[in-house]
Amino acid sequence: MTAKQPILQIIDLHAKVEDKEILKGVNLTINGGEVHAIMGRNGSGKSTLSYTLMGHPRYQVTSGKMLYKGQEISEMSPDERAKLGLALAFQYPVAIPGVSVSNFLRATTKAVRGKEIPVKEFRQELKAQMAKLGVKDEFLSRYINDGFSGGEKKRIEILQLSLLKPALAILDETDSGLDIDALKTVSEGINALATPETGILLITHYQRLLNYVQPQFVHVFQDGQILKSGGPDLALELEERGYDWVQPSPAVAAK
Amino acid sequence: MAENAANTIAKERVCDLATRNGEPRWLKDLRLNAWEAYLKLPAPNHRHEEWHKTGIEKLDLSQYGLLEESKSAPGKARDKSELVAKSIEAAATLTQGYGATGTFVELDAELASKGVIFKSLSSAIEENEDLLKTILTGDKYVPESDKPDKFALLNRALFQGGVLLYVPAGVVIDKPFVFNVDMPAVASKLAIFPRVIVILESNAQAQVVTVSGDQAASADGGLFVDMLTEVYLGANARLSGVNVDKLSDTTYQMSKTRTHVERDAHFDYLTCGLGAKQIKSDFETVMAGPGSYSRVQGLVLGSGSEQYSYNTTQAHKTPNASSDIIFRVALKDKAQSIYQGNVLVDKIAQKTSAFQSNKNLLLGQKAKADSIPRLEILADDVKCSHGATVGPVDPEQLFYLQCRGLSVQEAQEFIVSGFFVQVLDTVNITGAAAWIGELVAQKIHS
Repeated sequence: MTAKQPILQIIDLHAKVEDKEILKGVNLTINGGEVHAIMGRNGSGKSTLSYTLMGHPRYQVTSGKMLYKGQEISEMSPDERAKLGLALAFQYPVAIPGVSVSNFLRATTKAVRGKEIPVKEFRQELKAQMAKLGVKDEFLSRYINDGFSGGEKKRIEILQLSLLKPALAILDETDSGLDIDALKTVSEGINALATPETGILLITHYQRLLNYVQPQFVHVFQDGQILKSGGPDLALELEERGYDWVQPSPAVAAK
Repeated sequence: MAENAANTIAKERVCDLATRNGEPRWLKDLRLNAWEAYLKLPAPNHRHEEWHKTGIEKLDLSQYGLLEESKSAPGKARDKSELVAKSIEAAATLTQGYGATGTFVELDAELASKGVIFKSLSSAIEENEDLLKTILTGDKYVPESDKPDKFALLNRALFQGGVLLYVPAGVVIDKPFVFNVDMPAVASKLAIFPRVIVILESNAQAQVVTVSGDQAASADGGLFVDMLTEVYLGANARLSGVNVDKLSDTTYQMSKTRTHVERDAHFDYLTCGLGAKQIKSDFETVMAGPGSYSRVQGLVLGSGSEQYSYNTTQAHKTPNASSDIIFRVALKDKAQSIYQGNVLVDKIAQKTSAFQSNKNLLLGQKAKADSIPRLEILADDVKCSHGATVGPVDPEQLFYLQCRGLSVQEAQEFIVSGFFVQVLDTVNITGAAAWIGELVAQKIHS
């Protein structure tokens, strides 16, 4: 394989929230065409990793590197990162009362793509994606995430990502709270994001999602680090045996 | 407030005003009675609850002169379309130009033939004296307030210009009557007293849009606007109204809106504060008959060092009536707002439902907002609730929008527009929400 620039390189990343260190030396490389799953217990720091990657102001990088296509992003604002090609599907999407889904999608798609999209063209694209994700037309006039059920929020997150077409999609527990039908639909949406130029980072608590979105790499996250990495089989093993048996991979143990 | 207002606006001036306008004796007496009552009431100061933090002491009325002759006042004419957007299709428009703009009205013949009256108060005094006398003297329409108000009395003594809308029983009009108060650019301090009277007889239905606009005064100039609006809704009448105050930062506006809602009538009103040195606006709504309903909403976007003070009173004097108050305030820079909401429920007003909500969004680091609810409930079987929030933009909302590519500035604008849309979505006057949304967008950007 040629030495193509990775989509994302995280090197010995440390980050804190209000003086508490949460990320304690994360190393991860995602190349184009790869799907990585990060699994771990609640409180292991998985979500912190996703917020830190997007630049949430509460999360402060204390050392290490975050390189997107070779470019250091840790000093950039979240909107600059979004415009570069990073996108996060939130675990708990935030409601913005008074802002309709259609206005929201149009403004954000325009912002990320950096150009005006003709109304008709945008509408066609939107309708096609909505149909794929089983999102009804009536959603367009509702306020974004306001009074949405858990499943509705997750569908709309994936709908947004399908319009933003990020080169790095980070999905933070997108599977949580979904029934099996919704999980299948949302998984199809995630699979549709994958191209040879796209990297996908799935953060999840359950192995179930990985039946529908198949990662090449599975990482176990614990205490602010990747404790062990492996292939899809690792997820199944975690499902069967829980997290207690996991021993650090040699690379991690050596540190 | 400097109490020496009387130095400038003396009793003789009140008489002069009545004489000059050729007003009938009864009206002159009304003016003089109001003037006497005005003098007897103590001047408001910050120790009066509703004047807390309004800086009322700084207002020196003695500096303000009266408009002597409307035609000679300075100010240049401007197109009325500057005041109200083209998106609103009016049933009729009346522009009260204090200054060279003059006063003009357009009312189509069909409405006139149904008995609808929409004309300047001075024309109404000449042409509809009996009706106006009934409205202003008796208790048939809007009764005296329980709480005399200094500035309402001053307006009743000195009102100059204004409008009468009278809709006879059963007449339904689904386009708004538009009243523009267009004030001149002034080189000195000038006091203006517009008065608005809206009467809907039983089963009538109408819409009103009132706009206060002015032009920036020169260095020593400034306006004092004392506005009085009286609304009567007969049994089962429906009135939707929108009011926009968009004044320059040299203008003080005191305004009072008193509404009397009879049995099964609905009053639905939105007031928008989009600029002034200071706005003090009171809404006193009386639920006078069972089944009556009022919803008074406010949309305030302050910037610079503008000050807003809104007082609402929901007075329930009958059983089985309901009222809602919804005020949304966003403040940039060091703008300030104080909202005070009174819910008064009489002993007989069982099964009252009264709701009050005031949300304040602080966009500027030095912006300030206060919210004070006052509930005085004498009945024992009622549903009353109130809620208030004051705070900056939610950082999680900002982050979410930023993650979707919007800058902090763009994200804030989105959140503020959304904050107001929830109020604007309820406005049922065609074109009004789009127009106000546009004014809001302009002010957010400025």
